[in-house]
Amino acid sequence: MATEFHNLQELRHSASLETKVFIQRDYTEGTVCRFQTKFPSELDNRIERTLLEETVKTLNSYYVEAEKIGGQSYLEGCLACATAYIIFLCMETRYEKVLRKISGYIQEQNEKIYAPRGLLLTDPIERGMRVVSFTVLSVQLEISIFEDQGSGTSSPSSSSMSSTGSAR
Amino acid sequence: MPASSADSLKPSAFIPVCTAASLLVGSTSLFFVFTCPWLAVTICPAVPPCCAILFLFVLANFTMATFMDAGVLPVAKGDEDKDDDFRAPLYKNVHVKGVQVRMKWCTSCHFYRPPRCSHCSVCDHCVEDFDHHCPWVNNCIGRRNYRYFFLFLLSLTFHMISVFTFGLIYILHYRDDLWKLHCTVTLVVISISGLFLIPVLGLTGFHLYLVSRGRTTNEQVTGKFQGGRNPFTRGCCDNLEYLVCSPISPKYTARPYKKTVIHVQPPFLRPVIDRQIPVKRTSTGAVEPSDIKQVKTPPPLPPKPDHGLLKHKLAAMNEMGHHTKSINPVSIPTVPQLRPVLEAISRGSSPIPPEQLLKMSEQQGNNKGPDLCSEFKESPVGGSEQGGLSVQPSLQTNSSLQLNSMTLNSRSLTLKQGIISSSIRVASHSSSKFSYDSIINTVDPQFLAQRGPPQASYRFMTLSTDGTVVQRPPPHTYNPVFRGANRQPPQPSLQGLTSRDPSSSFQGFSQRDHSPPFPRLMPRDLASQSITSQDLTPPVLARRDMTCQSVRDSLRDLGPQGLTPHMSAAACYDNFSKTMMASVHKRQEMEERDRMLHLQARSQMLYGPDVGIYDIPSRRSLPPDNIQPPACRGPTPPAYGSREFLMSTGIHGYGTRTSPLSSSSTLSLTRGPKTSSSPLQSSSSSLQGKDRPSSPTYHPSERQPQLLLSSTSTLPRIPSSSTSYTPPMPPIPLQSDPRSHSPLRGRTLGALK
Repeated sequence: MATEFHNLQELRHSASLETKVFIQRDYTEGTVCRFQTKFPSELDNRIERTLLEETVKTLNSYYVEAEKIGGQSYLEGCLACATAYIIFLCMETRYEKVLRKISGYIQEQNEKIYAPRGLLLTDPIERGMRVVSFTVLSVQLEISIFEDQGSGTSSPSSSSMSSTGSAR
Repeated sequence: MPASSADSLKPSAFIPVCTAASLLVGSTSLFFVFTCPWLAVTICPAVPPCCAILFLFVLANFTMATFMDAGVLPVAKGDEDKDDDFRAPLYKNVHVKGVQVRMKWCTSCHFYRPPRCSHCSVCDHCVEDFDHHCPWVNNCIGRRNYRYFFLFLLSLTFHMISVFTFGLIYILHYRDDLWKLHCTVTLVVISISGLFLIPVLGLTGFHLYLVSRGRTTNEQVTGKFQGGRNPFTRGCCDNLEYLVCSPISPKYTARPYKKTVIHVQPPFLRPVIDRQIPVKRTSTGAVEPSDIKQVKTPPPLPPKPDHGLLKHKLAAMNEMGHHTKSINPVSIPTVPQLRPVLEAISRGSSPIPPEQLLKMSEQQGNNKGPDLCSEFKESPVGGSEQGGLSVQPSLQTNSSLQLNSMTLNSRSLTLKQGIISSSIRVASHSSSKFSYDSIINTVDPQFLAQRGPPQASYRFMTLSTDGTVVQRPPPHTYNPVFRGANRQPPQPSLQGLTSRDPSSSFQGFSQRDHSPPFPRLMPRDLASQSITSQDLTPPVLARRDMTCQSVRDSLRDLGPQGLTPHMSAAACYDNFSKTMMASVHKRQEMEERDRMLHLQARSQMLYGPDVGIYDIPSRRSLPPDNIQPPACRGPTPPAYGSREFLMSTGIHGYGTRTSPLSSSSTLSLTRGPKTSSSPLQSSSSSLQGKDRPSSPTYHPSERQPQLLLSSTSTLPRIPSSSTSYTPPMPPIPLQSDPRSHSPLRGRTLGALK
């Protein structure tokens, strides 16, 4: 089964006819990491508004948690100072831990919600936390997936074409 | 910019940091060697360890400040940049806690710099919360390493103060033995530390002030928040707390890329939304979102002439059969781009230099529809073609304005580009008067194609245009457009455009959309299509339909008030003064003649290679030679109502068969209310002469011109500055063109050839 799966990111890069939709940062609260919850019109007929807003709100909460100045950040700072920052070589910062959680969350969201709708949510960290990008998968990409897999789940090109037509 | 990016790597860039490091390490080492033993003995044994810890702290912070990523924002990939850079606004405003902050577009990094972000010219990258580029550490100081820099400054200050103080105590104790080695060394150390203490102290105090105010060096130096409120400050204490205790933000660049594996399989779920518009039906995939956005954008009225664009398109048209990708997908509809032409015409100046027009007219024969078609095809990222194929059924089934989101995307692009290209072509042929004639001409077939029968006629027209110059009668006005479309397939639009005021043509366009003559034109198209439909291959048809659709959609977009696509473009120009329209109307006849001449010439040229394809209908008469003005810009355009005329009309719009898109787009554009072609034809016929003999198929169209004439006469004419290409056009001679005369046809064909 694993062979049937494909690295969507690789496929994404190879797909030439995909559309990207971007959700920009929300700077109304300053430089804290927040993304706009405004629903992009391009996704109007691809996904329900509530789902997308839910995802963005969850991401925002993750970032708030990552950037929170509190006990854990104090300790981290003191420890770093005390060890002349050598601790950074051994330990992962709190922010990095939250980022791992975020990427796991995005992966899960992609699998459950966005991939079935032909969308792909990319981690904002890949773009310097400036945007949340949605890759709207094109029909071409779908076809390529099918052809690559070639096994049970994949249908021949013709059927993928038809499914493409119906999907679209 | 390799030069600037290498600035931080240049050998000279390392001098300050090496100097600072050597001074720091060297001086402190000497201090520890020569002074500290006495201090440990005399003052306190804890002095050297404390100094050592402090020095270690200095070194650690110095190292972090030097080698830590300041918060470099990675360069944006191209996909973020939807608009062309030159069209994107330089600044974007955001409100940060109630204060308006400007985000500037970074041309190097291709994104709008977030607030407090700045581009470091030394390192050639954007840095988040950019403070400054410190030469002493040869690194940018930004969000991630500002803390270390500040602590370095702080600790260095203390270290230097301690070294200076203890050294002074030592010297004062050994002032009698100042020339001994240990004293000399200590003297040197305290002089160095004393000397550099002053600037370091100043810098530390400065940054303490900045931190308390919540500003960066960059903001302080540029005076951003001098007068106003700083939205980024959290208060003095919170700022210090944020400085010291905030979590380290992650590195954005060179991150370990974790590959995610997600299985994507159609069919895709869709939200349950009542969709009137079929979406995503083209093979180009989900193009519609961005395209819809493009489509929905109301056409801004462009204030400035777009000569570059016109020239660009002219150049593109000059390439025969080249798929000129010069036409970039424009989010602004054609109307804005034509506006400069309109303005120029209204001013009485030719937007397109006559020499260009001359050149264009000469190349008419070479510039078949393929130019337009290729442009059409190329402009929409190849998607329109595919989309067209899928669109074709929709076109056939839909009535007028069925909006396919996919087709919208590609179509709008196609249409706009097609319009532009057709307009340019027309303008090139005419005396540089850029008018909607070309647009209308090009659009006509598309609109025709939108309906079942119209599609046939559209095809016919496109087919006829194959191998012929894509010359649609310059749709300067309502009448001329149709006139040209009807009668002068190969007539260079130059003729018609020369004396036409684009605005009037636009207006005519709009009027045409509303006018009854549109339907009247249909019969003729239908007649023609019956003949030619068999000639076209399905792919061509598909492409043309696509073009038609795209043109239609583009036109739709053009309408600011949400008029029908074909009307929308004209609606923008309804505001042109009636005087303009009147003047345009006046020139119609003159330009008619010119146009016919050009059309004829072009059709002859274009027909040459493909004459066989069009040699089916019997009424392929071209306008008589007498139409040709003495200036003789080209062969006489085909007779009104003749097949050649219709074909040439298609030629104007679409170029060769390779440009079905353009043809279809033009058809759709002119069609608007599904009658675009008919008014076009009828107007042209009316202008050129109602008594044009034509085959029975064209008779209805003959009647239409009369109606159109009345409608066109209502169009105010803009006193267009006639160019040298605008010989007086005798309507009568045009009318007398034996469209259906075989001899004439042969002659015309021969002339064309």
